[in-house]
Amino acid sequence: MSAATPAASTPDGVSPSASNAPATDSAKDVTSNADQLILEYLRARGLKEAEKSFLEELERKASATDDKGKQPETAATTTISQEELVKQLAIFAQKPADPTQNALKDSSSVLQELSSTGTPQNIQNLISSIGQVGAEEILSLDPTDKHEGFRELEAWVDGSLDMYRPEFRPILFPIFCHFYLDLVQQGLREAAQDFYSTFSPSISSVHYSTLNHLSTITLPYHVQTDEVAQRFRTEKYTVRMSRSGFSLLVGWLTEGFGGEPSGSGEGFAGDKGRRGRAAVMRVVNNHLRFDVTSSPTTSVNARAWEESTGFLSAVVPQTNGSTTDANAFNQSKGELKLGPAPIPEDLRAETERTLQDQAMVDHDPGARYDLHYARQAPPPGLVAPSLSDLPPRPPMFQTVDVKREVEKVRDMRKRIRLDPSMLNNANASTPQGAASRARALPSICAYTFHDVGEGIPCCEFSPDTSLLAAGFSESYVRLWSLKGEKLKGLRSDFQSSSIRDSSSLSKIREKGGSTTRKLIGHSGPVYSVSFDPVGGSATPPRYLLSASADATTRLWSLDTMTNVVAYRGHQNPVWDVKWSPMGIYFATASRDRTARLWSTDRTSALRIYAGHLSDVNAVAFHPNSLYLGTASSDCTARLWDVQRGSCVRVFYRHDDIVSTLTFSPDGRYLATAGEDLAIRLWDLGSGKCVKKMTGHTASIYSMAFSAESSLLVTGSADWTVRCWDVKGAGGPRTKSRENGTTLTNGATEEHPPEKEETESNETTDLLATYPTKRTPIINVQFTPRNLCLVAGPYLSPETR
Amino acid sequence: MSKQAPKARNVPTKVPGIYKTDSVRDVAESLNITNLPDIVASALASDVEYRIQQVVEEAARFMRHAKRTTLTTGDIDQALRVLNIEPLYGHFPYNPPTFRRALPFPQMQSAGTVYFVEDEEIEFDRVLREEKVTLPKGVTWTAHWLAVEGVQPLIPENPPAIPKDIDPESAAAKQAAPSNVPGSIFPPTPPSSDRPSPIQAAKQPQQHIAVKQVLSRELQLYYTRLTSSLLPPTSDYAKRTAALASLRHDAGLSPLLPYLVRWVGQGVVDALRSGSQSENDGRVLEVLLDVIGALLDNQTLGVEPYLHQLLPSIFSILLHSALPPSHAVQLRTTAAQILSHLLTHYSTTYPGLSSRIVKTLIVGLIGEGKSRSTREGAIRGLMGIGKEAVRQGLVKHQGAKIVGDECMPGESSPLVELVMEALRMIHPPSTHPTPLNPDSGGDGTIIEELRGKLGHFFAERVVGDSAWARGILSDDSPDT
Repeated sequence: MSAATPAASTPDGVSPSASNAPATDSAKDVTSNADQLILEYLRARGLKEAEKSFLEELERKASATDDKGKQPETAATTTISQEELVKQLAIFAQKPADPTQNALKDSSSVLQELSSTGTPQNIQNLISSIGQVGAEEILSLDPTDKHEGFRELEAWVDGSLDMYRPEFRPILFPIFCHFYLDLVQQGLREAAQDFYSTFSPSISSVHYSTLNHLSTITLPYHVQTDEVAQRFRTEKYTVRMSRSGFSLLVGWLTEGFGGEPSGSGEGFAGDKGRRGRAAVMRVVNNHLRFDVTSSPTTSVNARAWEESTGFLSAVVPQTNGSTTDANAFNQSKGELKLGPAPIPEDLRAETERTLQDQAMVDHDPGARYDLHYARQAPPPGLVAPSLSDLPPRPPMFQTVDVKREVEKVRDMRKRIRLDPSMLNNANASTPQGAASRARALPSICAYTFHDVGEGIPCCEFSPDTSLLAAGFSESYVRLWSLKGEKLKGLRSDFQSSSIRDSSSLSKIREKGGSTTRKLIGHSGPVYSVSFDPVGGSATPPRYLLSASADATTRLWSLDTMTNVVAYRGHQNPVWDVKWSPMGIYFATASRDRTARLWSTDRTSALRIYAGHLSDVNAVAFHPNSLYLGTASSDCTARLWDVQRGSCVRVFYRHDDIVSTLTFSPDGRYLATAGEDLAIRLWDLGSGKCVKKMTGHTASIYSMAFSAESSLLVTGSADWTVRCWDVKGAGGPRTKSRENGTTLTNGATEEHPPEKEETESNETTDLLATYPTKRTPIINVQFTPRNLCLVAGPYLSPETR
Repeated sequence: MSKQAPKARNVPTKVPGIYKTDSVRDVAESLNITNLPDIVASALASDVEYRIQQVVEEAARFMRHAKRTTLTTGDIDQALRVLNIEPLYGHFPYNPPTFRRALPFPQMQSAGTVYFVEDEEIEFDRVLREEKVTLPKGVTWTAHWLAVEGVQPLIPENPPAIPKDIDPESAAAKQAAPSNVPGSIFPPTPPSSDRPSPIQAAKQPQQHIAVKQVLSRELQLYYTRLTSSLLPPTSDYAKRTAALASLRHDAGLSPLLPYLVRWVGQGVVDALRSGSQSENDGRVLEVLLDVIGALLDNQTLGVEPYLHQLLPSIFSILLHSALPPSHAVQLRTTAAQILSHLLTHYSTTYPGLSSRIVKTLIVGLIGEGKSRSTREGAIRGLMGIGKEAVRQGLVKHQGAKIVGDECMPGESSPLVELVMEALRMIHPPSTHPTPLNPDSGGDGTIIEELRGKLGHFFAERVVGDSAWARGILSDDSPDT
């Protein structure tokens, strides 16, 4: 568990950086002396060539700095045996300890040194300290070292025991990146490209996008200005390892063996390999941080090793100055109040009174159970917030609030209950099986847009499904009435004094009109629309929010059909906007790496949630409106305390950009989907990943939980809608899967194995896949009664 | 485990130098910088490439948020805007630029292919005169059920189901395949015809897709053996009987059905086209009729969707004017029997089948310029169908009259005999016939009516039996 840097990289008392300065100082004093000795030494050894070159070098670089002066020496020594090298190293190691002393003592003291530093760790100290003195320059200047070093490292990782391989593999990526950047920085463009093309195929495809980005960096100037490159340069890359795995790595770095089958490390006997190893070591020392876990290797899932690597220190907010991993951070933030939001007592009383009244007159015999539904106990295991925890809102409730609450209760009673667990034991070929399918899977109504032109980035159904709004790339929002009613605004030529009651108001409504209406105001593609939730499923929404690339968020009144407010504040395109579950407040996500909280009556933001390292792609409110979830391009999702503005959970991590997220209605889970085509389910309380669901073959655009939180429906650019079992265990599908769990096109696959394409990566919790005809699904929603609505534009084959 | 890339996505292999140094040098020359050092050009090329990548990465974000999978010029514009670079004007996503290939430069082979954006010259005059500005229709939406209680309905809005197995239902829904060369590798089944059988449509909507279905090796072998033992009609009677028995009783032949139906149809057409006077053709037709009979007999096949393909073959044999004389009667009788068999089995599940058949037969019977043998076949067919059909044809549509008009007075040919037999079928003649009395009023009108309906020729033959005559006419009257 210790998060400390390993002893190897920072030897006790002698850190590499500390050793650097005194070493150069002392080196000045000893230069001439050392040269003499080296010449003698070389002569004694009979290394004519080295001697000659050394002399030349001396003459040429008489005025060169001391570090450069060391260069030929070390280069010469690399041609001699390992034993000699160690001796030389020992001498250098001695220097920082006693800078005033002559570095080259007699050989007896060197031997003494050697005997005293017999442990691998000390030898490693030696190597690491010499790396700072002079060898580093040479090592980093010779491109073949990097080549060799990486090849050896890869051979070692691949040759290691199966149990260690998953935890060693992640180390390849940061070392690859650093080597590449080093080569670029030194202006060795061809060598860098050669290195890239040789070794990039062996890097896990998880890092596809980073690799692609790095490959375009070809000039030293780029390295200095590029954000990704600078992150590699300035921040430590955290790699998690088990204790035994780590000691094997240290052993290999220092001695060239450990965990490696005999024979395969043959190259390391040569000095080329040794230099390569030193290059690896340099990166390990300077740019990696090892998170050594005490848990044994076998207890960790193979994928988890890869997933816990990265720039943790940057991604995870620091608590009291110390960097920790995501789990520790999440734990340090304590418990969350995830229970349902309380209803004010007077509103609850009024709602129940209304329900009782209606039960008397209602012919529906089920109506009298409404009260029972209204008084449901909160789910166990969740801390319910109190009224004072909620964001402030008006003290008095309105008629529309009562209507909404009454309708909510009624919806709860009338809703279709979806229970995917019914499918577990059912054989779908029997009639009973078909019945259980009907119990488990939803009915899905698909809305297909035609002739969308440039594109339709977003659309949404109003909570009462009376309206459909879509934002277009052509900078406008279009509204449709799904009930076929005419959408009429208000005329603009009236005196406000003439309005007294509703009848005089209806007089100034526009005549005519159609069932669709264009809302014009934005000056860039509209990326998100959101209907206000105050009316719930009882009354049509009165307001619509839209977010656009013109960096504004606009509020549209659906009474007048006009733009009421433009909220400015973001400096960059606004990617997403969502109302809070109670209305009044809303949140936006932007390319400027922040999410912001607004209230409708103020034109400036109330809170700014800053911390993501890249675009915030999506926001979502927790059902009790206490927390805000954000999904970002930095491969993480975060949970923020809405009122305090602080980050309370970090969900680490996806392998690629996180593009969308949604909370389960019961408040326990967060589902995030990324460009890595995986859907992850997170437990909000612990911040841990419950499971990963894969199966989509293109970007996932939208997700929705059923009202019971038992089913997740996702829409994707692969033209399918898929249903996932939230409660199911998941995991990769084995060849012989259970009978009837996967349904394609609504029919049972009775003979799946031979049909199954081999690269299928569907997890077992994928319940059903419904393909559409060339329609990417951009929005998935559940109505309060559990009917699923999906929408997307039809792409005609000619145009795309 | 070691070096595999677990996902389909492959790590891109870097293509060095998309932007060539030559291009940099060209640009430099256009700015009157003639002696650009190599090192500068290559550094600039690298930088340009990096900047392009920067813009593209930024544009990709806009593409992703626009929920598209193709990058448009609009995305690039947006990316340039946020990077604080002036956008490139004049590129719209609605009319993507067309790149034309320039004529190759013979003096500079190394330049490779050069593309340029076509810049059309527009004449204002013409544009103003034509004023053909078509407004786009505007965005619309349609709604349909993607899934109902977890089952995807097979409606046109949903994509067709993924074929799972060669089950009889779906195989039967597929149409006949072209191959009639025995032993050849079966080509993929062509798309089903546009005319699905009504019963099939009711049960399961047709799948209008070309499903590539290849028969198993065993079935191909079976088909070859079967067809070779049936045709040419060898003397090996036992072999043929065995083959027919197999067709009649074996289950699991449904995948072959389209091919067999097609084979039969082709065989009939070939046999009839060749003049069909030879003995051999007669035997071929006999065998083919047997095959049709056997197919209809097989309960496991599900022939219904293919009835409309089988019927023409049966009708051809029944109504053809020139069957080989040695087999004519036999062939027509068998065809009529098959027709009646077909009707008794499928008329309930295939509405309108019997009326269609009767109509075809009546047309054959009363049509202008039909040969006598065609009329004979039609009558046999009607007889095979039943009493009512015969009455329809002979009496109501005056088939007897037409046949009688063509006969020599006093003639006694098989055709005449056949008509008489058909009339007997409508109403059995009395054992002790009492002739109609032309003088009595009632009988007189009946005789008139007989002459009107049956024609003189057959009226004369019926007149002798009053009960019979009344029977023929009386049962008819409620219909008229």
